[in-house]
Amino acid sequence: MSLIANITNISRCSLHDGPGLRTVVYFKGCPLHCMWCHNPETIAFQKEIMFRPEKCICCGKCIEICPGSYRIKDGKIDFLRNNCKGCGKCAEECPSTAISIAGNTMTADEAFAEIAKDAPYFSESGGGVTFSGGECLMQADFVVSLAKKCKDANISTAIESAFFVPYANVEAILPFMDYIFADLKIPDAQLHQKYTGAPNTLIIENIRKISHIHKHITIRIPLIPDVNDSEESMAAFSRIINTFGDGIVGVELLKYNYMASSKYRLVGKAYTDFGNASQPDKHIEALCRVLKEHLSREVNVFFVK
Amino acid sequence: MFDVIKYIHENIAEKLGLNNVAEHFGYSKEHFSRKFHQFTDMTFSEYVRHYRIQLASIDILAGDKISDVAMNYGYDTVGGFNKAFLKEFGCFPREYKNYAKASQLYYERRKISMYKLSQRCSLLKDEVVNQRNYMRKFCFQRAVYFVLGAQKAKNNGLDMMMTIASAITNVIRNFTPVIIPGELITGFNFGDGNYGDLFIPKNEAEHIAIMKENAISESDIADYFQADAFFKTITFFAGLDLTPKEEVGLSKQENEAAMEWAGLGRSICSNHTVVGYEEVLKKGYEGILCEIKAQREKNGECSLYDAAEMICKEALHIGEKYAVEAKRLLDSHDPNYAEEDLKTIIEICSNVPRHPAKNFKEAVQSLWFAHIINTWEDSINANSLGRLDQILYPYYKKDIESGVLTKEEAFEIVCCLWIKLYRDYDVQQSCIGGTLTGEESAVNDLSYMMLDATEELDFIRCLSVRFSKTTEKAFLRRALEVVGHVQKGVPFFFNDDVMIPALQAKGIAWEDACNYTQIGCVETTIPGKANPHAVTGETNLLKAIEYVLCNGRSMTYPEINPGIQTGELAHFDSYAKFYDAVIAQIDHILDITCSQVKKYTDTCNSPKPYKSILTKGCLETARDFNEKGALYDYYQIMLGGIPNLADSLMVIKKFIYQNKKYTLAELKEILENNYPDESVRLAFMNKAAKFGNDMDEVDSIAVSITDHACDQLDILSEKYGISFHAQPFTYLWMIVHGERSCASPDGRKAGEPIAYSVSPMQGRDFSGLTAIMNSISKLPTQKTPGTTSAIVEVDPKLFTDRNIDALTDVLVVAGRKGLSNVQYNVVDAETLTDAKKHPEKYNNLAVRVSGFSQKFNLLNEDLQDHIIGRTKHLCL
Repeated sequence: MSLIANITNISRCSLHDGPGLRTVVYFKGCPLHCMWCHNPETIAFQKEIMFRPEKCICCGKCIEICPGSYRIKDGKIDFLRNNCKGCGKCAEECPSTAISIAGNTMTADEAFAEIAKDAPYFSESGGGVTFSGGECLMQADFVVSLAKKCKDANISTAIESAFFVPYANVEAILPFMDYIFADLKIPDAQLHQKYTGAPNTLIIENIRKISHIHKHITIRIPLIPDVNDSEESMAAFSRIINTFGDGIVGVELLKYNYMASSKYRLVGKAYTDFGNASQPDKHIEALCRVLKEHLSREVNVFFVK
Repeated sequence: MFDVIKYIHENIAEKLGLNNVAEHFGYSKEHFSRKFHQFTDMTFSEYVRHYRIQLASIDILAGDKISDVAMNYGYDTVGGFNKAFLKEFGCFPREYKNYAKASQLYYERRKISMYKLSQRCSLLKDEVVNQRNYMRKFCFQRAVYFVLGAQKAKNNGLDMMMTIASAITNVIRNFTPVIIPGELITGFNFGDGNYGDLFIPKNEAEHIAIMKENAISESDIADYFQADAFFKTITFFAGLDLTPKEEVGLSKQENEAAMEWAGLGRSICSNHTVVGYEEVLKKGYEGILCEIKAQREKNGECSLYDAAEMICKEALHIGEKYAVEAKRLLDSHDPNYAEEDLKTIIEICSNVPRHPAKNFKEAVQSLWFAHIINTWEDSINANSLGRLDQILYPYYKKDIESGVLTKEEAFEIVCCLWIKLYRDYDVQQSCIGGTLTGEESAVNDLSYMMLDATEELDFIRCLSVRFSKTTEKAFLRRALEVVGHVQKGVPFFFNDDVMIPALQAKGIAWEDACNYTQIGCVETTIPGKANPHAVTGETNLLKAIEYVLCNGRSMTYPEINPGIQTGELAHFDSYAKFYDAVIAQIDHILDITCSQVKKYTDTCNSPKPYKSILTKGCLETARDFNEKGALYDYYQIMLGGIPNLADSLMVIKKFIYQNKKYTLAELKEILENNYPDESVRLAFMNKAAKFGNDMDEVDSIAVSITDHACDQLDILSEKYGISFHAQPFTYLWMIVHGERSCASPDGRKAGEPIAYSVSPMQGRDFSGLTAIMNSISKLPTQKTPGTTSAIVEVDPKLFTDRNIDALTDVLVVAGRKGLSNVQYNVVDAETLTDAKKHPEKYNNLAVRVSGFSQKFNLLNEDLQDHIIGRTKHLCL
């Protein structure tokens, strides 16, 4: 039996998640609930309806199909998310694409077919596929099966994960990944709990273990204004990274992305505004230097805009 | 200042201080700083650092130790080097190396032009772009002397061939030679007196007034207004058919199909050429005269030889006229002219084009004169220059090797030629790169230099880049960098690996096919050997749907029946049957187009003696260029509407035959009423796959339609005894095609433009650049020697250094997959929208319109909206 997974999106031509041109597979569902998550539609494990009122032409097809979840209010379509069972029939029928569904059940073969479309571009540019999410390691069996297919086809593989998963899941995928991007969000365990819903101990433990096994790991730190973008935080990050093995080849500091708020509306979630406290490039460059100074080994620190 | 730059480059490893370099060249420090800044736009130390670090970065990528590299470039400490590196690249050398390694960026880096625009060229550019003093001054000379020459010949009872020859000869004899201060390449190809954006005479009085300004005598003006209207028409519209339409004998149905542009046949019998300018460079007009004589002796008397001889004899003097003018200026000590420049012009123009060119400068000048006369024959439009980097390379190489020419001087000459080509902006295309024999790259120093000139001059110049599997990646990367920097859609790209076999399949010898080049936009020709009859037939294949739904009748103009009867709707009980009917209509549209071309060709009377001189086959067979004299004579048939037709068939397949939501009769009613229910239109648009997203279910429809159309053209070639070349290209007629089509099943409303060529329908490609490239590359490009054209819109922000590497990779792979042609429009929608509102703010904003670029402000509103509507790819 072929494995299936819930995948939000397969996005081609990415230049940011590993070397060369890449196709990124976004898995649906994540055990963490980071308040700043850029992809809120990938947090829940089940399929979700995304509703864009600005695209709606009020044709009423959705009400015909699912009178329980849609109604007319003030001349506009009103979506009652609590009544939705996520079957997706409305999204199938909605002509304007105002209603769409996040999450698509796919077999590994189907996902591979989509990835393979760009195989020649991967080999020319040194790129490949990146498994991301959500938390792709929550569907580790599927990732293994898909990564094997990619390896068989000489497609380079990378994974981006927060590593808040049982180590068994991590261990399973290790032999099939050329590059690993490991998210490290907040150095302090309690603050980590506060902002992401879980402490960071398991995460740190997992990264430490693989850093002695895998040779190409990049740590990614999303810089959240006034949460982890101080010089003190950098020092604290460095203390953790200094305990990792030789597999860590780089650290990327990611500039805060203000663009996610609209996506929260689509899936009916509340967006936590981390203020418009801007992060000037100069500030981030300074953080890069601070972090670099504190690291005990020669590790590249990149600033990713 | 060139010497200073050269000195810096040569001594880059030494300690270079402002003081000692200024001293070395005998300048005061302040004066030197100022001059240096004027010249380079950088301070002395900035420039030295910039150049050093750029060189160092190459060494670092090549694997040299960072401390060694630092030492080699004159840095005492690694720290100092690191600091300088950080300033230039924003990261430390080690990071740069690792990062580059991780991304596998191992190409040679040519970050900036090797050459800077000289002050001479800056001034010339300013004149041609901003002042345009000379535009109006002599613009009617060609028109008037051409008509007078023709009229005189007619009055003397000469035939059409001699009439045209007399017209050209009269222009060469009477035009006023004008030398612009500072120019090294001289000579004007006055347009046709119609400078669209600058001025068009509003009435006869104004017309006469400008002619007087143009130094045309009153008696000549009077004669001009009395001359046959016919001659005035051919002066201005030399590209079109001269034979009255009623004499062509089109059938009722042919006229109807042409009326709604479903199948429009013409015979483009002029301009749109690349003739053999190399002949003039190699032999001079004297040599060519000998050749004409030899052919005459061999084949006997004929009017073509008389005409050819007449033109060449006058053409001998074109250079001398300029030499005399330069001598006059020299003697008058006109302060606007540098003595040295005038002496150079005298030397060059005394020799060419009468004699063979001896060196690079003479070659460029001779080529330019040969081109001017070609444009005087039938106006500038689309008469192009061909593979300039190949034609000129032997002269360049010889001069560089013997030391009579520096690369900087060569660059200046190239810029002067580019400025000449800009003056009368029209699609005078030139081409660089490509392969020589299919097995080796033709890229040379001049290819790079011409890219540099395009970047440095930063105005719209038609420049195409040929590439193949043999082309070095560094060259393609550099070309894409220029696309990103200039942001005017130049250069654009053609894939030898499909174009050459496609041409060969049409009976063109391999070595000639390898030498193909573009005319005007994306049309293909074999320089000096072909009459390509570009844009001869235009078709809108989307019309096939209308004709099937209405059984041969037009849905847009219900009173006409341009299609054939394919049966009542009830008959189409399966998708296969519907598809077959569409194919039958396509066959009909192509046939009706080709039969028109045939009729126009048979009645065509438009001799081109000058083109005959410079096109292989004509003198040898004593047959004119337009009487099938050229070695290769073929007609390009444009196939429009393929993306919309594929999208429409996909909708029909899904909504009529798969889920059976609508019947064909209902569909017909929906389209006739232009989508009365918006939800139906949106469903058609959004709920079926669309071409351009790498989805096989719909791409395969586009492939099979195109494939069939190409095969059908082969059958029609047999039927009409004419070689037809398939060309999936719409020029900018996607607007007219749209205006003359009713709503289509792909969700396009009546009157809206159709897709450009084979680009995905505007706004419907959302799967990224590789997906578009894949979709387009699936098309049978080896069957389309006329070029399968596509424009891809990319956001300017995409052209960062790292992304250019990725764009290069995408182009290389797409080439391997069978891409034929791609042009990049580097624009974002906000800028265009703002430019539409505030044109005054965007005088230099240019966009890719079709096979050519144009200033956005000069486009009409329909075209502006069309371009704004195309998807802008923000990420790759």
